[in-house]
Amino acid sequence: MRKLFLVMIALLLTACGGGSGNGDPAGAVQRYLQAKVSGDAEGVRSLLCAAMEADAEREAASFATVSGASIEGMTCARDGETDRVKCEGKIVATYGQEKTEFPLGTYSVVQEDGEWKWCGEAS
Amino acid sequence: MRLLAVLLFGLLLTAPVAAQNAPEPDPFVASTYLNAINVRSGPGETFAAVTSLGKGIPVRIVERNRVGTWLHIQRDDGAGGLILDGWVVGGYLDLADNLRYSELPVNDSLPDADPSSQNSQSMKLLYAVPVMPFISPAMHDLFLKGLQMGNRSNAVTKVGDSLVANEYYLQLMNRPDNNLGHYDFLAETIAYFGASAAQPSAAARVGLSTAVIFDPMWADSTRCEAGETALDCEYRLKMPGVALVMFGPNDVLHISPKAYYDGMEKIVQRSLEKGVIPVLFTFSYNPDSELWQEALAFNLSLVEIANQYQVPLVNLWAAARIIPDYGLDTDLVHLKNSGFEYLNFANGNEAFYGVAMQNLLAVRVLDEIRRGIIMTSLAG
Repeated sequence: MRKLFLVMIALLLTACGGGSGNGDPAGAVQRYLQAKVSGDAEGVRSLLCAAMEADAEREAASFATVSGASIEGMTCARDGETDRVKCEGKIVATYGQEKTEFPLGTYSVVQEDGEWKWCGEAS
Repeated sequence: MRLLAVLLFGLLLTAPVAAQNAPEPDPFVASTYLNAINVRSGPGETFAAVTSLGKGIPVRIVERNRVGTWLHIQRDDGAGGLILDGWVVGGYLDLADNLRYSELPVNDSLPDADPSSQNSQSMKLLYAVPVMPFISPAMHDLFLKGLQMGNRSNAVTKVGDSLVANEYYLQLMNRPDNNLGHYDFLAETIAYFGASAAQPSAAARVGLSTAVIFDPMWADSTRCEAGETALDCEYRLKMPGVALVMFGPNDVLHISPKAYYDGMEKIVQRSLEKGVIPVLFTFSYNPDSELWQEALAFNLSLVEIANQYQVPLVNLWAAARIIPDYGLDTDLVHLKNSGFEYLNFANGNEAFYGVAMQNLLAVRVLDEIRRGIIMTSLAG
């Protein structure tokens, strides 16, 4: 009985975790933004769409000139069944004594090889 | 006794009149307020010092360099023989209030520096670049193209990092209390561009670099469209004829000279596509910094780009070499503000503060563009 309970918990956790993985557009965007803000070049590369491959280096170094970049209050949700993900929250960073903020917006996503990828800001 | 009173009264009445009739001081005579200053063989600190000038000794000003920062002075022995002849930093002199640089001959035949005085090849190359560029004919064509695209001839913007986003840089141009000092000839240019310069630029922001200016995330979301870069956003909003561009102090900490070159070239190419004259600025840097050689390489890449695309390059790096700490603030990165909340080109501020020099060069190059390109284009 106890074993069955543990298995069910594990299944439940897996199901929930799936929501923030590359199988879910909102989760892919969140993971991409985290990778970008932390300067994680590998993470950025793995979550960036093929059309923006040439921008990978720039994307990964985007917050290199500021310090302490982090994301506050991020929630992302897919816009219906479209290829757009809308995020609330903001990136905050400091430059010298000055705090600078970057509000999150709406992003394009594409599915490549079954995985959702971040593909720039939605126009 | 009564007669004496009348006489005294008469003298009192005539005294102010006499004072009013006193001849104005000769505007072309000056002296230094410093104990001693170097007098050089040319208008730059790389020229050899030929003698020195002591405090309070009057000299005659005979001409200035193109920017107005160096003055050619002479002193004779009273019998027609010259006992002093050379160039000094204008900011080191007490100049007569009635000296107008518009009335002073300009020497545009002497270079701004003597590169042969330098041992380093990089320094030789950088010093060979004039402080104030000669505007190429290609910029005339570009300006006309911009007008056809709807750009505004009297709109100027700025593009760059925190040294450019600084509200004391360029944005003061519209203030009514500006003091141009002896630079009287800049008044029309300041009036022409002032209103647009006063508007903050969406393409100037702390932490901005040549790379992230093309990342839409760095664009101001309150003014820019989704997916728009900060550069495109600013050019759409302001439709400028001219953009003053300076990056470097941030970039040199994070990217390679090659990446810097690529980023600056992309900014220039995008500006040319939009019909905007991009005026590049070299940047001042601390020679004691570990990244000094990289900073020189970055600045040299600007020379290459400017030559390739025939765009104007202002050599702030060279001009700032006369300023204490090269015009840098205590962090040795940012330029030092003079403390004035208006443009103040009086009292030689540009010889002591980086931002004052940055502002002077910005207004001077706008003056070159307005007189050399805009006025002739609009008249034609």
